[in-house]
Amino acid sequence: MRRETQNILLILLGGALLKIALNGDYLRYVKPSQQPWVIAGGAAMVLLGGIAVVRDVLAARRAEPAGVPGDDCHDHPARSAWLLMVPVLAVFLVAPPALGADSVARNEARAPEVTRGASFPPLPPGEVVPLAVSQFVTRAGWDAAGTLNGRTVSMTGFVVRDGRDVLLARMVISCCAADAFPVTVRLTGEPRAAELPVDTWIEVTGQYVPGPQQRRPGHAPELAVTTLRETPAPPDPYEY
Amino acid sequence: MATVSDSELGSAQPRARRRITSIEVLCAILVVALLGQSWLRSVFDVPALSTASTVFVAVCVQALPFLVLGVLVSGAIAAFVPARALERLLPRRQAAAVGVAGLSGVALPGCECASVPVARRLMGQGVAPAAALTFLLAAPAVNPVVLVATAVAFPGEPGMVLARLAGSLATSMVMGWLWIRWGKLEWIAERARRRLPETSGRDRWSTFAETARADLVDAGGFLVLGALVSAALGVLVPGEWFGVLSDQIVLGILVMAVLAVVLSLCSEADAFVAASLSALPLLPRLVFLVVGPAIDAKLFALQAGTFGRAFAFRFAPVTFVVAIGCGVLAGLVFLGGVR
Repeated sequence: MRRETQNILLILLGGALLKIALNGDYLRYVKPSQQPWVIAGGAAMVLLGGIAVVRDVLAARRAEPAGVPGDDCHDHPARSAWLLMVPVLAVFLVAPPALGADSVARNEARAPEVTRGASFPPLPPGEVVPLAVSQFVTRAGWDAAGTLNGRTVSMTGFVVRDGRDVLLARMVISCCAADAFPVTVRLTGEPRAAELPVDTWIEVTGQYVPGPQQRRPGHAPELAVTTLRETPAPPDPYEY
Repeated sequence: MATVSDSELGSAQPRARRRITSIEVLCAILVVALLGQSWLRSVFDVPALSTASTVFVAVCVQALPFLVLGVLVSGAIAAFVPARALERLLPRRQAAAVGVAGLSGVALPGCECASVPVARRLMGQGVAPAAALTFLLAAPAVNPVVLVATAVAFPGEPGMVLARLAGSLATSMVMGWLWIRWGKLEWIAERARRRLPETSGRDRWSTFAETARADLVDAGGFLVLGALVSAALGVLVPGEWFGVLSDQIVLGILVMAVLAVVLSLCSEADAFVAASLSALPLLPRLVFLVVGPAIDAKLFALQAGTFGRAFAFRFAPVTFVVAIGCGVLAGLVFLGGVR
C-alpha cells in the first residue's frame, strides 16, 4: 500500500474517533471516563498522518529522491493496513447503535458480581425515587433490611420480551460494550406494556414485589407498574 | 510473502505502464460505500449483526488510544534511545539480560500489539534476541497500566494482581531462557534484524514521527482484525458456555486459555472481561489473563508479519503451553488454590 493511502487512512480513522468522542456517540461503545483517551488517541492519529503528508509534500517540492530519513515502510507487506478501512466505514456509514434486546438474550449467563452481605443505605426521601435498574436488582437480591419495600421507584430502560413476560432491561458495562451484561426487571400490572415493541425506551414507576429466588443469577425481580411512558433513548445508554 | 510496495515499483519504473494504485482503490471503496450506505445500514439491521458491529466498534474505540500510546513509546525508543545505551544497560550474559528485560517490561506501558514493533526495534538496536523476546512477552502483561486495570477490575482480590504479575513475568523469562538454549537466529526473518541508521538532532524528531506512524499503520490493521474476530466470537459463542465450565476446573482452564487466544483482547481491557465472567473460579480467569497478553490471534498474525512465519510457528505454540503452566503455578501460589 502506498504511503499516501496509509496516511489518508490514519487521518480518516483519527477523524472517526474524534467525531464520536465530540458528538457523544462514543457513549454507545465505551464508558464516559474514556472520552479524553479517545480524543487524545484520535488527535495523535490525525497528527501522525498529517505530519507525514506535509513532510512528503515538502520533500516532493524540494525534489528530493524518494525516501525520507527513517522511512522503513518498504520492509512491510502493509496489506493488513487495508483493515483500517473497516472501523472507518463502520463509524461513518453504519454507526452501530447501542446494545439492546439482542444482547440481553446473549449475555444472560454473565451474572453481575454482587457483594454479598453488603449493607444498603435507605433510599432517599421523596414520593417517587429515581433508581438505576442495576441498583434495583441488587437491592432486591441482597438487601436484608428491605429498603425497597413499600417505596415507589422510577426507572428508565428498554423493553425486552421473555416468553409472554415483559422485562425492563439495561446493559451494564465496566469498560467497553464488549464486556456488557444485562440487568432486568419483570414488569407486571400494566397491560399496555405487552404492546410495546422490543427496544422501546420507557420510564416506569412502581413498587417492588418481594418474591422467592431473587438471588439466582440473571433473575429479574418484579415491579408492579403504576405509570409507564415512552421516552427518547438517553444519551448515555449504559449503567456502570 | 512479497514485500514490494507499489510506491517502490512506481519510483523504480517511472515510465512504466500506469497501474492502479492503492489511492484509487481507496477512493473507489469510499464512493461505493457512500452510494451503498442505505443498503449497508439495512444489512446491519439484523439483530445479531448489529450487536456484533457494536462490539467491534467498541473494541476499536477502546483499544486504539492505547495502541497510539504504545507506538509513540516505540517511536521514542527508536529515536531517542541510542543502541549503545541499551548495550550498556543490559548485562553481557544473555541469561541475566533476559531477567533485566523481563523486569524492564514493568516500566514501559504498552499494548501487546505495539510491543511487537518495540521488540523488533530492540533487536535492531543490537539487543540479544532472547532479551528482546522476553521484553515482547513481559511488557504488555506487567506494565503499571495493566496492573492498575487488573486491580480495578478485581476489587478486594489483591492476590489477582500479584498472581498476574508473577505468572506473566515467569512466562516471559522462561521463554527467554528457552530461546537461549534452543532458539536459532535464522528463524527470525532478516528484515526484522536489520539495524536502523543512527540519527541525531532534528532527524530524531522525524525518525520518531515516522516510526510511530509506520508502527501504527502495521499494528492498527492487526488490531482491527482482532476486534473483528472477537466481535464475531462474541456473537457465535453461546453465553451458557461460561456457566457450564464452573464445575470442571481442568476443562475450564483449557477453554479460558483458548478463549484468550481467539478473543484477542488488548491487555489493558482483558481484566474487565475476566472480571465479568464471575461464574468461573479465579484460577481459569487468571490463566486467561496470563495467556492473553503473551499469545493471541492478532499477536500471532503480527509476529508472523514482523519476524517471519518460521519464527511464529515455533514461538507461538510454545508460548501458549508455557503461559498456561506459569499461570496455573502462579495461581496456586498467590491465590492459594482454585478459588
